[in-house]
Amino acid sequence: MRKALAVARWEFIEKVKTKAFIISLILTPLFMIGAFVLPTLLITKPDTEPRIIGVIDETNDLGKLLSNKLEDKFKLPDGKPNYIIRHIGNRALLDLEEAKKEADNLVVKEDIEGYLIIRSTIYNDSVFEYRAQNVGNIKVTERLNRTIRDLIIEKKLKAENLDPEVIKKLTFPIELKSVKISKTGEEEESDFKTMFFSAYIFIMAMFILIISTGQLLVRSMVEEKSNRIIEVLMSSSSANDLMVGKILGLSALGFVQIGTWALIGIAIALKFGTAIISLTSALVLLPFFILGYLFYAAIFVGVGAPLSTEQEAQQVTGYLVMILFIPLLLAMWIMQDPNSPLISILTFIPLLTPTMMAIRIPIQMPSLFEILANIIVLSLSTVAAMWAAAKIFRTTVLSYGKRPSLKELWHYLKSK
Amino acid sequence: MLSVKNIRKEFSTVVAVDDVSFEVKRGEVFGLLGPNGAGKTTTIRTILNIIQPNRGDIFFDGKPFDDAIRNKLGYLPEERGLYKKNKLLNTIVYFATLKGVPQTEARKRAYDWLKRLDLLAYAERKVEELSKGNQQKVQFIIAILHNPELVILDEPFSGLDPVNQIVLKDLFMEMKDKGKAIIFSTHMMEQAEKLSDKICLINHGKVVIEGKLSEVKSRFGKNTVHIEFDGDGEFLKSTNGIDKLLLYENSAEFEINDHQGVTNLFALLTQKLKIRKYEMIEPSLHSIFLSMVGGNKIKKSEGVSL
Repeated sequence: MRKALAVARWEFIEKVKTKAFIISLILTPLFMIGAFVLPTLLITKPDTEPRIIGVIDETNDLGKLLSNKLEDKFKLPDGKPNYIIRHIGNRALLDLEEAKKEADNLVVKEDIEGYLIIRSTIYNDSVFEYRAQNVGNIKVTERLNRTIRDLIIEKKLKAENLDPEVIKKLTFPIELKSVKISKTGEEEESDFKTMFFSAYIFIMAMFILIISTGQLLVRSMVEEKSNRIIEVLMSSSSANDLMVGKILGLSALGFVQIGTWALIGIAIALKFGTAIISLTSALVLLPFFILGYLFYAAIFVGVGAPLSTEQEAQQVTGYLVMILFIPLLLAMWIMQDPNSPLISILTFIPLLTPTMMAIRIPIQMPSLFEILANIIVLSLSTVAAMWAAAKIFRTTVLSYGKRPSLKELWHYLKSK
Repeated sequence: MLSVKNIRKEFSTVVAVDDVSFEVKRGEVFGLLGPNGAGKTTTIRTILNIIQPNRGDIFFDGKPFDDAIRNKLGYLPEERGLYKKNKLLNTIVYFATLKGVPQTEARKRAYDWLKRLDLLAYAERKVEELSKGNQQKVQFIIAILHNPELVILDEPFSGLDPVNQIVLKDLFMEMKDKGKAIIFSTHMMEQAEKLSDKICLINHGKVVIEGKLSEVKSRFGKNTVHIEFDGDGEFLKSTNGIDKLLLYENSAEFEINDHQGVTNLFALLTQKLKIRKYEMIEPSLHSIFLSMVGGNKIKKSEGVSL
């Protein structure tokens, strides 16, 4: 065990000092912020200048109503209206084609953001057109759509001779607030987004840890093989100590990495005041996180030890990562019915257990029995995987060139 | 110290080592000789418990291999390699701690050795900045820093310049005097002859000759002639009555098989060459090596061509 610690110490200290590690430690969160956080912030960021939207109105009054309503409802931070409606075409004698040409010109000149065509048939078919250079601006289209829908419903209700006050009550916007009830009957406020997000964060953390440590493990074995240091190592320490030391040292490295990123993540989350993941879920997930991680580490060792080139190593780690991703493809299905028997069975497959649990636990806590049973199965599989990995490591770490066949691997496992 | 008994190692279709036995005592330099691919490295790896033999036993002071024995072994592998990106001193200290030497002690000893082998200036440099020869010296330090009782060096002299070969030879003698057992493999017979107390010659995985160097030599008799001369020695190739000729530019070694003809031979030599030195000696290891190993090869290739 002392030797395992010496190996762990070496692997950790020598790698933690490398430029590559320090750079990835700093750059990855910056990249994540750049790639995911900034765009979201930009989308939700309010406009600072009013946007001018053209209207070609065949109904005579809807355009005006829309203008009032938009100005009333959406305001810029300084109090000015966010959207200004500009009527296009001769209102009394509208020539649609002529107006369209004029509006198109304005769009191209960027005088207006885009324009609406409200046909007189709108009360019957509820269709209107929005034309712009950028129809991908979801915020604008969504707001226009909602406002016009409300206006039309209001008008229709008015036509039924309803009291304007009643109409106001009836068309009051509805917002969905979902409350999750946990096993103990407590209420927990959550909606689909935060639920998915907490599963997502957990899975991402595990992916990063497994992939980065796994690759480090495989690469370090391949390196020692190619520079033949492995012979000196094997003459100094038992194969088991060597393997355990490597896993310990490189895991510590992985946990430092993920820990740093987690701290940054939590800091950002606190700043924006969103609770990302509930404490209970996190605690239940922790054993799956650690066991799953060790299970995969053993597999990486077993698969990596017989390899002798970097290219082979990359190929093989690629395949392993794919297996890890399978539950994500099933995520939607799992969310619809997290406790179906088939999903329970799939969860018991050790390769899938950690990710399956990561998706299931935040959505609906599985029964205590199922959680314990899964922990036991995963623990046993991890021990078995470690044992097999040590065997394979011991026998193949000195072989070069050809990869062992399945028959040979089986033979290694049976050897003392 | 070490006794190797009837070990055999097979790799899928090849028998790399077949029924090899020998003993090495403390204070002994043991030369493991043989042509390339004879099974020297496999034998060494088996002794170090890096690979397991299919048959046979290996004992250290009468006991089978265990974890405690690892710390008493030092190893310089034939294929040289070190971590390239790490600092010299750290690398040496790491390997010493793996052999059970405490960190501070390892650091101290590493400094001493680096100083002794003229590498102190590189202590804080990366390994990849060193020349091949210097890297080899570092590996040698790694092999002996933990003060092992049995040092195994696979082809220690290859790649070293003459100056460093002498440094290494002195270290050999020093360790020998301290009562360490040393095993080294080589296919360079001159080196083996100068350094070994005992040799074991293996070929195609089998022991060909084994024993004390002096005994091995006397087994091959004292009818070898060594001459040094000026002139063209080509005619020796076609002279009757001599065997196992090794002809060099200004010297030759051969065995006399016709003792009646010695006087005639001597007359012939003095007539054709200007002889500077003439002596009856034990055959050189080189000659023994060639007669045991080279002879086989020639026979084999003839068999193939026929």
